[in-house]
Amino acid sequence: MNEVLHTTNLLIGYKGQALMPAIDVSLTEGDIVALAGPNGSGKTTLFKTLSASLKPVGGEVKLFGKDLRDYSPTERSSLFSLVLTEKPDDLFLKVFDIVAAGRYPHLGLLAKLKAEDEQIIYDSLETVGISHLVNRNFVSLSDGEQQKVMISKALVQDTPLIFMDEPAAFLDYPSKIELVNIMHKLSREKHKTILFSSHDLDLLLRHADVMWVVAPQQPLRQGTPKELVDQEIIDEYFKPIVAKDEFFWMK
Amino acid sequence: MASDIDHTLRRQTPTIALVSIATLAIGIVLFVLNLRYGSVSIPWNEFWDTLLHGDTSTYRTIILDYRLPQAITALLAGIGLSVSGLLMQTLFRNPLADPSLLGISSGASLGVAFVVLLGTATGLSVSTLSLWSTFGVTIAAFLGAFAVLLLILALSSRLRSMVSLVLVGIMIAYIAGSVTDILKFFSQKEGLHSFVIWGMGSFSNVSKAQLPFFAIAVAVGSIGSFLLFKTLNLLLLGERYAENLGVNIRRSSMLIILASGFLTALITAFCGPIAFLGLAVPHIARFLFRSSDHKLLIPATAFLGMDLALFCNLIARLPSFEGNLPINSVTALIGAPIVLWVIFHRQKVLK
Repeated sequence: MNEVLHTTNLLIGYKGQALMPAIDVSLTEGDIVALAGPNGSGKTTLFKTLSASLKPVGGEVKLFGKDLRDYSPTERSSLFSLVLTEKPDDLFLKVFDIVAAGRYPHLGLLAKLKAEDEQIIYDSLETVGISHLVNRNFVSLSDGEQQKVMISKALVQDTPLIFMDEPAAFLDYPSKIELVNIMHKLSREKHKTILFSSHDLDLLLRHADVMWVVAPQQPLRQGTPKELVDQEIIDEYFKPIVAKDEFFWMK
Repeated sequence: MASDIDHTLRRQTPTIALVSIATLAIGIVLFVLNLRYGSVSIPWNEFWDTLLHGDTSTYRTIILDYRLPQAITALLAGIGLSVSGLLMQTLFRNPLADPSLLGISSGASLGVAFVVLLGTATGLSVSTLSLWSTFGVTIAAFLGAFAVLLLILALSSRLRSMVSLVLVGIMIAYIAGSVTDILKFFSQKEGLHSFVIWGMGSFSNVSKAQLPFFAIAVAVGSIGSFLLFKTLNLLLLGERYAENLGVNIRRSSMLIILASGFLTALITAFCGPIAFLGLAVPHIARFLFRSSDHKLLIPATAFLGMDLALFCNLIARLPSFEGNLPINSVTALIGAPIVLWVIFHRQKVLK
């Protein structure tokens, strides 16, 4: 299988301060990878570093064999797409506008959609199951529906790699199941590589092919969800936070 | 399959076409009314005669030399300020942003205040001042506004967040405002008077000779703004999404500030600081066209800005008023209720 991304001696953090020991990980084409860890464990920092919004403190990130920061913003826009927790809040922004914006990197100066682009937009709406929402205002949708719109936007962008930041954070149980199904569809049928993060021991984690677990000042550990549970790494990495919380209540 | 796509992705183009035609028609009617009404009343038949057959009528001067340039100035200012306001609202993702947000019109006021003070301090009499006043004041306002624009552009390349940039703009506006006040304090009554008049705003300061330059400059600024529509649409998604879709945030925000600031500087220089048009019109456009797509919204805002400016100019010159009302009080009177309505409407929709 093809390698999509790998890091060598990657140090992440702010102002030259590394948050955790050096990270050596890689993403393989078609994998669903979960980045899990309690709040404040450096998840978001790693996420931002891998998606080029933050400079690494040391080491390097290679995307398709080339340093992440050597790509221009335009080149990066066709290599990976984002699904974030922040949401557009403009009142008159329609679902169609958002999804079509995902196609912009592929369009010319006047952003005229060709038949081919319309086909891609239509397909992505169908894949995610929101074609009936296309003329709705984005702000009027539920959290689950908004999440699907952003995933649809990422699909239209047509990138091999998709980053999803806390995709399950605001979802109810049925929406989480739907999200898992969509992620499976993207990875198994469309061979997308997905890296998503979660601060919770969420049901999503069970459906990951690979898991990266982080905790403050601890080395990143990786393995299949089962391996990590069997080795009691999950317990160890998520426990300190739980213990501290208990201590807080006892005081 | 193709029909499925058409069915799913069909946009409501009939409504858009209808609203566009209505907007243009209203603009034309308002333009004609602007030529027809004023302190001198002209009978309809003589009005058409003058307009269609030209030089025979005694009303020729009033219509062609006075009202026509004023109406054209009003519509150009309406277009430019509204587009400029839209750019600010999108860039800062703030519904209450307007062309004066970054202190550019305060810079213009400062420029004019300098002329007023220099005029009085160097002992130029008011009559000397008035000889070159219209043009001198325009130049001074333009220089002041442009100085602030360049300052903002220089600072924007060093600032990471939009919030800081707004704060810097507001601080610059405060500094310009207080220096203006100090200059006013030291200037004499006559100079002060002309400053106050300039501050009320007027569409009648652009001479026939200056009009082509003004028109071309507004067109350049507006077309330049339109060419930014892709970036503006992407910015609506939020900075991180925009960046991921290939937008160079720093460069794009500088281009947006340049386009918006150029229009503001230009129009403030020629017409004085005109309040509320730039704030209110983008909201009317979004509401009427039910869209946030800048490819549609920029032309829509431009035409609605033209309509509203012509309407305000008409109100300011209603025959019953002796002379012109200050245009600024009219735009505020009409613009402020619209902004109030937007605030309440926004609350309702977000619920």
